Amino acid sequence: MEYVSPFDERTRGSDPLAPRSGDLAGKRVALLDITKPRGDEFLDRVDALLRERGATTFRARKEIFSKPAAAAVIEEVGAADLVVEGLAD
Amino acid sequence: MTASTSRSSDLAPDFELTSTGSGATRLTDLRASGPAILVFVSEECPTSTLALRRLAPVATGLVESGIVVMPIFEDAPEIAARVARRTGWPGPVLSEPPPYETSRAYRLESLPTTVLVDRDGRIVSTVVGWDRDDLNALLAAATALVDAPAPSLTDEPPLRKPGCGAKNSYDPETIATLSSGGTDELEEMFERGWTDGLPVVPPTPERVAAMLGGRDPGASVGAVPPGMGEATLERVAACAVLAGCKPAYFPVVLAAVEAALDPAFNLNGQAVTTQSAGQLVIVNGPIRDAIGLNSGMGVLGPGWRANMTIGRALRLVVTLTGEGAPGRLDRSALGQPGKLGFCIAEDEESSPWESLHVERGFARDASVVTLVASDAPTSISDHQSRTPEDLAWVLGWGAASSWSANWWPLGATSLYVICPEHAALFAQAGWTKDDVRQAMFEAVRRPARELRRGETTSLVQASDPDAIVTKWTSPAEIMLIAAGGEAGRFSALLGPCLGMANQVVSRPVDWTP
Repeated sequence: MEYVSPFDERTRGSDPLAPRSGDLAGKRVALLDITKPRGDEFLDRVDALLRERGATTFRARKEIFSKPAAAAVIEEVGAADLVVEGLAD
Repeated sequence: MTASTSRSSDLAPDFELTSTGSGATRLTDLRASGPAILVFVSEECPTSTLALRRLAPVATGLVESGIVVMPIFEDAPEIAARVARRTGWPGPVLSEPPPYETSRAYRLESLPTTVLVDRDGRIVSTVVGWDRDDLNALLAAATALVDAPAPSLTDEPPLRKPGCGAKNSYDPETIATLSSGGTDELEEMFERGWTDGLPVVPPTPERVAAMLGGRDPGASVGAVPPGMGEATLERVAACAVLAGCKPAYFPVVLAAVEAALDPAFNLNGQAVTTQSAGQLVIVNGPIRDAIGLNSGMGVLGPGWRANMTIGRALRLVVTLTGEGAPGRLDRSALGQPGKLGFCIAEDEESSPWESLHVERGFARDASVVTLVASDAPTSISDHQSRTPEDLAWVLGWGAASSWSANWWPLGATSLYVICPEHAALFAQAGWTKDDVRQAMFEAVRRPARELRRGETTSLVQASDPDAIVTKWTSPAEIMLIAAGGEAGRFSALLGPCLGMANQVVSRPVDWTP
């Protein structure tokens, strides 16, 4: 039996994982704050741990956690070698 | 035993087949990124599904090593997608329709047949049937081509199992018999995942065409969060069919989807939040009576096809086209019954006030949908107030613990459904909607020191202990509509969805009587 799919089948594949970087030394890491309460405290701790391992870090911030990041924010974090984003509060 | 391994330097015939992931796919596309393992299978063959189930656990690792693993079904795309789901296959699959030219080009006699093709397009190894040791050897040969460790297939029995006849070798009458189906189509909808957990109406091309009513099936309403599937009219119509809508409801469904996809509504946030809120559809105007939408007794509950199925159609668009299935991208901790679908009409005829769509700037005779991000309703009983002040106080304080007991102010829309008897009491006193809103706003206030337990707002935390805090930021956060049964002094509060920076959104329904 033939049916009309409610799905957009083009969106249903899975993307492969990006290559693992292995070593953090010398890497530039974006810490993306999505503005959830206390997310900054979490990122402060991650920041310290990354720096201990030789990475440099910078912060980026979404306007609000419940909406997609603005193109400028995506571009900003896209310039990093790695991105750390925390969810929820 | 039909399993065997052969080695050959034959070139693998190229093909172009339909993918469940990204449209047409050629062998040259597949091997552009590395060696390719082609697994020829079919729905009816138990050895094929065994092979897919057992290859699935190692497929992701192979893909991460740069090896393409691609099942090729001698079945229609829908069937291929269904079997792939059932077997837990982690990626897209290809579909080869009759007359099975690709299978013929590979001279397949039996399925499954697994073929390893190297980067240059040469066939390195072929395994027919399920043979765990031979397939392990094929996987080792594949991983050796990319210097990756070889995975190991499960050693659960059976270690060897003969395959089934390949369809390309069947006679035309047998092929016609096989493709006639015979499955229970209601059960098939569950197997496909085309459901919200309740039975659905299968979206046959005939039903979808009737729902579309001559509209362009390929026209798009927009991308549906969170998965950003494109809501073509055909897919929206398929959801309306699945939900049980009549074609006469479709203009309302379309307007609801348009409103939901307005960025100001922030469906993206609502679709994935841990909160319980769903999308409430409120309908105003003459289309209510034309399609039998209920605005009276039992308005917030079941019993009316138009109410139940229009709300459900919108939710299916979010859940299926938008991939926002509960427990997957939808992370709602509790959910709520309204997320199955929630559509009501305003009782404009018995309301003493301007109806919602007129308040929002539409003509009185326009048909309009208004979408509200809304939590489940809570009914508020008041059979004893005899003054509008008392009634506004009772209804207002009904919202005091909305969201959380000490979360003041809400900073988001609270929707009240005012029953006819409550509306009449306000009307007899000459109170407008603004009068009611203002009285409710002023009634619900407490000193900050009483609001400092557990979850509370930054405003309360920063306030002087004796400072007065209101439940709403302003009266404008209180939305009122008239609906419900003529007897029984119960109104209802529908709490907000917070943190969404969203707005209530209205869209006119493209409909003429």
